[in-house]
Amino acid sequence: MNHATLLARESFIEKRARERIRSLLDPGTFRELLGPFDRMESPWLPMQRIVPQSDDGAVIARGALGGRPVMVAAIESAFQGGSIGEVSGSKLACALELVLAECQKGNVIYPLLLLETGGVRLQEANLGLAVIAEIHSAIAALVHRVPVVGVIAGMVGCFGGMSVAAGLCSHLIVTRQARLGMNGPEVIEQEAGVDELDASDPRLVWSVFGGAPRCRDDLADALVPDDTGAVREAIESAWATGLPATRRSAQLERLPLPSPAPVTSSGAAAGAVSRGGEWLAALTGGKEPEHRYSAAVRSADAPLGGEMARFIAVVPDRENRFPRARDGEVGLEQAWALAREVCSVTRADRDGKKRPIVAIVDVKSQAYGRDEESRGIHLACAAAVDAYANARMSGHPVIALIVGRAMSGAFLAHGYQANRILALDAPDVLVHAMSKEAAARVTRRSVRELEALGDAILPMSYSIRAFAQLGILHARIEGVNANAPSDSDVLRVADAIADAVADARRGPRDLSSRLTSAAARETRKASLEVRRRLALEWPPPREP
Amino acid sequence: METLTFTYPAGPKVGRRAHVGVVGSGDLEVLFEPCDGNAAEVTVRTSVDGYGEVWKHVMDRFFSRYAGSVRVDINDFGATPGVVLLRLEQAAEASQS
Repeated sequence: MNHATLLARESFIEKRARERIRSLLDPGTFRELLGPFDRMESPWLPMQRIVPQSDDGAVIARGALGGRPVMVAAIESAFQGGSIGEVSGSKLACALELVLAECQKGNVIYPLLLLETGGVRLQEANLGLAVIAEIHSAIAALVHRVPVVGVIAGMVGCFGGMSVAAGLCSHLIVTRQARLGMNGPEVIEQEAGVDELDASDPRLVWSVFGGAPRCRDDLADALVPDDTGAVREAIESAWATGLPATRRSAQLERLPLPSPAPVTSSGAAAGAVSRGGEWLAALTGGKEPEHRYSAAVRSADAPLGGEMARFIAVVPDRENRFPRARDGEVGLEQAWALAREVCSVTRADRDGKKRPIVAIVDVKSQAYGRDEESRGIHLACAAAVDAYANARMSGHPVIALIVGRAMSGAFLAHGYQANRILALDAPDVLVHAMSKEAAARVTRRSVRELEALGDAILPMSYSIRAFAQLGILHARIEGVNANAPSDSDVLRVADAIADAVADARRGPRDLSSRLTSAAARETRKASLEVRRRLALEWPPPREP
Repeated sequence: METLTFTYPAGPKVGRRAHVGVVGSGDLEVLFEPCDGNAAEVTVRTSVDGYGEVWKHVMDRFFSRYAGSVRVDINDFGATPGVVLLRLEQAAEASQS
């Protein structure tokens, strides 16, 4: 490349989120929705004495790109690391839902996501995770109708729950300066040790997460230079290509799954007892569970409220070929196996009655490992999200039953796309974006400080009662022995699941029930206000 | 986090609203909204406590030259006085363009 070519480039990376959108749109067409002067800022940051931003770090705009009507959502990486909070995430989710509504009316608007984000904002933990599940749901619905294009330019990259969103996109455009992964290198080093991944070794980090290897390994579609014109051309060419034949998150054969050894009652492979495994056995009458795709993903059909239902649990697997996913984590194998498991149900019921799918949730985390990242654990989780979301949208009542830990990426992949979420109110049942110890290290707080904050700041709490106050839970089941359920405990829980199935069948097939609950109206005022105002500003102003 | 407010007498409003900057390390966001009322009202939220005196000097200096009625909201993430003044001038300029 000569100097003239290099100097003629207009850097895309150096632009802030709003400038990025402006530079891509056709001149004079930029119209921002819920901009800085609407002052929709995070209600949770000032409570923690952290300065908020007037747009909460998310810029939503409508306009035209190459003559096409578009909605662009960009995350501002300079504000809180591009993290997703209740407001910024709701802006993205709602904008995507509004595009979906237009597309359903036959009015095609092209959605474009400029992703520059570390994932969930830990200061808004559970609400960040909840809105990311809503973003996933909207993308999973949209990709059937219009190509959803994602751009990761750098320098922050795209991590955490938002890497799963990237995995759900129809087309992904990256630069060499982009990074994409479920867990960032520092998090892996912290959780799994420096032998697993040395975050201070840039060559190693870029060889795993960088835009170039992601493109080489077919985890992204186009590698472009850091040039605004090149980014725009790649976006237009992605839209011109149209919907991919099989979207990446539905390419279920990507990870070969060896047929696992048969489960035996003594079960060396099965061996490890877990709460999830216990509840699977209890709710399916001790029936021998199947494990078609992985010894760590068990399922069984059993009667529920007068019909058959499919119960699915992720269980520890001491001999799993991936050492970072042997203790109940959702790793590559588990996530791809979940996707196949759920898809096998939707395929079998395609022309008949859609049986309920019950995700029994006891997942300690996603797997933290170099191998996991190299092979794209974010896409594996996206495949599971895609499968659950499509099961729900096609009319299967999908119920998540939290019997133990429901942590971050693992919960996004296994449970968070359910129509209804139930939880046992028992010790060690908890929902969160990161384990206490890890969150304490990342936010430079002690575990005790974190617990104190959780008492004051609802979405930061680890307790299931606080989680229930967010309005996301359909029901909290009290007085059940979670470790050793009695027969009457099991009956009560089965009844609660059957009620949730009936309720899900009566309601819409999206996740809107989480926002209409009495608790949500109280706690998620900001989410609701974002949706109300964004919908108001959505239609183009009439010409005078 | 500390919240500071400043008020200055001002003439009629000029220009239109402008938004510059970002709440990122060493930077700040300025929301600049010309308004009626013959006053400039400034609200600062800063991540660094204890610099009220410095903020006052910066504001005095800016409003010794800017005379319009305006509401200014600043969200600061540890910007130096020079950067603050630069952002204010950038906002005023954007407001005139």
